[in-house]
Amino acid sequence: MSAHHNTNSIQHLYEGDQSKLYSGVMQHHTDIASPESKKQVGRIWRVFWILLIVTVVEVLLGMYGYQWGMPRGLTNAFFLILTLFKASFIVSVFMHLGDEIRSFLIMVLIPLTLFIWFVIAFLADGGFWLHMNSTAVTR
Amino acid sequence: MSQATTADVKLWGGGRSPFNVSYGKMMMWFFLLSDAFTFGAFLISYGTTRFFSAVWPDANHVFHAFPFAGEANLPLLFVSLMTFILIMSSVTMVLAVHAGHYGDRNGVIKWLLWTIVGGICFLSCQAWEWTHLHSQGAWWGSFTDASAPLSGIEHFFNMKEPAVAAALPAHGMQATHDFYNYFFTITGFHGGHVASGVVFLIMVLINTVNGTYDQRGHYEMVEKIGLYWHFVDLVWVFVFTCFYLL
Repeated sequence: MSAHHNTNSIQHLYEGDQSKLYSGVMQHHTDIASPESKKQVGRIWRVFWILLIVTVVEVLLGMYGYQWGMPRGLTNAFFLILTLFKASFIVSVFMHLGDEIRSFLIMVLIPLTLFIWFVIAFLADGGFWLHMNSTAVTR
Repeated sequence: MSQATTADVKLWGGGRSPFNVSYGKMMMWFFLLSDAFTFGAFLISYGTTRFFSAVWPDANHVFHAFPFAGEANLPLLFVSLMTFILIMSSVTMVLAVHAGHYGDRNGVIKWLLWTIVGGICFLSCQAWEWTHLHSQGAWWGSFTDASAPLSGIEHFFNMKEPAVAAALPAHGMQATHDFYNYFFTITGFHGGHVASGVVFLIMVLINTVNGTYDQRGHYEMVEKIGLYWHFVDLVWVFVFTCFYLL
C-alpha cells in the first residue's frame, strides 16, 4: 500500500487521534481470546437470540392472529411494540450507541423524536381523507 | 467551583472530541440520521395512502409463495427467511467490528466474508420475490385499468372479510396499484442500500487483506461500514413490519 498511511501527520486529519477517543467496549484491545472479549461476543449472540425469537413471535401473530380471534388493533399494537423493541437492541448493542457517552446518545436520539409528530399528523390526515371521501357520496 | 463545571470546561474546551468520537464516525451517524428521515418519509407516505384507502391488499394473501414450492400456500415464510438472513448478517458484522477492536485481522476477514455472503443471499431472495410478484402482473404503474375484471386482483385481498369484498369493485384496483408502487419503491430503495453496502464491505475487506488498517493502527473503517450495515438491517425491521405484518 502507499506510504501515506504511515504518516502520522496526515492520519489525524481524516481519522482523528484515536488515542484520545473511546473507552470501555469501544477501546482498542489486544487479546481476542480474553474473558472480556468472550463476554462481549456472548452479549452479541444473546441479542441475536432475542431478535430471532421476537421475529418468530411476530410471524406467528401475523399468520395466525386472525384465526386465533385476536382483534386487528391488538395484533398491530403488538407488532409496533415488538418492532421498537428489536430496533432498540440493534441500535444500542449492534451499533454500539449504548456504549457511547451520554451526550452523543442524546444528540442522535433527539432529532428522531420528530417522528412522533410526523407519524401522528400524516396518518390522521390520511384517515380524515378517507372520512371525507366516504361521506361525500351521501352529501 | 463545582466539579461539574470544571469537567464541562475540559469537555468543550477544545483539543479533544466532546462526544468522544472521531469526525468520520460522527459524520456516518449524521448521514444515517438523514437516511432515517428519507426512509421514514417513504414509510409514512405509504401509511397515509393506506389510511385513505377503503381497502388494502392483505400481506398473507400477497406474500405466500416459496421457491420450488409451486402453488403451496406458505404465508410470510419466505420473508421470514429473508429477515433471518439479514439479522444473521448483522451478527457477523458486529463480530467483525468486535474483532477490529481487538486488532484481530483474520477475525475481521472471516466475519466480513460471512457478512458479504449474507448480503448477497438477501439480494438473491429479493430478486426472486420481485420476479415472482412480476409474474403475477405486479410492477411500478401496474393495475391501472379500473374496468379490468376483479379476478385479476381479488387473490391479493382477504375476501372472507365482508367489508373488503363489498368495497373491492370500487376501490380495489386503485389500492392494488398504490400498494405495488410503494412496495417496489421502498423495498427497491432498501435493496439499493444493501447492494451498495455489499460493495463497501468488499472494499473494506480488500483493505483489511492488504493490511491497510494494521498500518493505520486501528480498524475504525470496519466500525463505520458496520454502522451503515446495521442501519440497513434496522430499516428492514421497519419495512418488514409495515409491509408484511401490519
